[in-house]
Amino acid sequence: MAPPGGPRPGWSRRAQYGLFFSFLAAMAGLIIGIVMLGLSLVAPKSYASVRGVALDATAPVTGGLRAVTATVGGVFTGAGNYWDAARQNARLKHERELMLQRIVEAKAISLENRELKAALQLREHSRSPIATGRIVGSSFSSPRRYAIFSAGGADGVRVGMPVRSSKGLIGRVIDAGSLASRVLLVSDRASIIPARILRNGQPVISQGRGDGTVDLRPLEVGRNPFKPGDIVITSGTGGLYPPLVPIARVVRLDDDGAIALPLADPSSASFAMVEQSYEPAAVADEAGGIPENQ
Amino acid sequence: MVRAALAPHRNLGKGPVAGADLVPAISVAIASLLTALPIVSMSGWYPDFGFLMLISWRLLRADAWPAWWAAPLGFFNDLMSGHPIGLSIALWTAVMLVLDLIDRRTMWRGYWLEWALAALLLFINETAEWRIAQIMNASLPFVSVVPPLLISALAFPAFAWAAARLDRWRLGR
Repeated sequence: MAPPGGPRPGWSRRAQYGLFFSFLAAMAGLIIGIVMLGLSLVAPKSYASVRGVALDATAPVTGGLRAVTATVGGVFTGAGNYWDAARQNARLKHERELMLQRIVEAKAISLENRELKAALQLREHSRSPIATGRIVGSSFSSPRRYAIFSAGGADGVRVGMPVRSSKGLIGRVIDAGSLASRVLLVSDRASIIPARILRNGQPVISQGRGDGTVDLRPLEVGRNPFKPGDIVITSGTGGLYPPLVPIARVVRLDDDGAIALPLADPSSASFAMVEQSYEPAAVADEAGGIPENQ
Repeated sequence: MVRAALAPHRNLGKGPVAGADLVPAISVAIASLLTALPIVSMSGWYPDFGFLMLISWRLLRADAWPAWWAAPLGFFNDLMSGHPIGLSIALWTAVMLVLDLIDRRTMWRGYWLEWALAALLLFINETAEWRIAQIMNASLPFVSVVPPLLISALAFPAFAWAAARLDRWRLGR
């Protein structure tokens, strides 16, 4: 097959000029694109308003359709639950017994904790959620992991606030429109979270791997402190994330750290809430929304 | 060909549909809008729908739109997909100019050559996204571009088919 008719419009002067000016416009578009790209790399906040408007325009559609996919997904997982129901029931009852014991223990500990804190007069920030919403969509095709959250500036959501579900940390807000916001997920490469191992309190760093899992590294060099099944929680260091929020569960060890799965799966979490930044001063320092420390 | 010539001419006297010039650009914008689908992807391996539609049209015909239209289409794609603004503008316009050059160089076109060209352009697209992510403090190993590249290269024939069908519809053939 011959190649498609190239840019040779014949003898018409008008067509030739049209083609030439179209080429000039394309060059201008290319240069404008490179300049805008440079600007959004150097100063990510410069397009905040226009990105917010785009979020507001698409999020209602996404949110409306999300109910449909959730229903379809629910039919399949719901059908799966009936499979082997008797054994599942027995196991759940057994787990519940164990849980009840744990709850009593935990209540006792929390009472003791409150008394000790009162004795020390330790002041804590109140942890009331600012807004509740749903995770309605996500970035599809980029190496970055973003999610669209269905509450925005009108509900009090600001850039930098942590987002969590009942199961654990989801991420934090990086763009806020007035109806919706964009969340940098825990599994994004640029989301670096100071954390601790729940078992022994050892400080670690959690960094996303871009594919739905996170990389855990101990802060102190030495023996690998992780065991499969370990739960990692936020430590509150740095002030961006509140302490004691579960992040991920270790699934595999590697030479000096571990790979873990986030506990809050944004694709199935029905509701998520935005909390007040733990230390608002820390967020103000880091106005770009991207951590500078690697 | 002979059989087609013998078939009754149902399309006789049927011209292009109204706004036929805008159909390619609109279809690219709609493909960009697919990122508003309520799917939460954990791996980011979905193909870049807008870019696939763009190169499908451009490989199908050189005059689908003036080359500079790629800039506003890219801006729309950046807004919808959450890429840093400017990435698709620069990349899509550059692809238009590069394909103009390739059109002058290639002596013939075939299905396999188009697929290879598309795979090359998709590779450039994924690499650019990877590099920009690296600049924005999200440096992943380069191997991470392979799965989305394979998936989008395999998705290209579907988009090429869609572009060809749309082209026949808009021209009333």
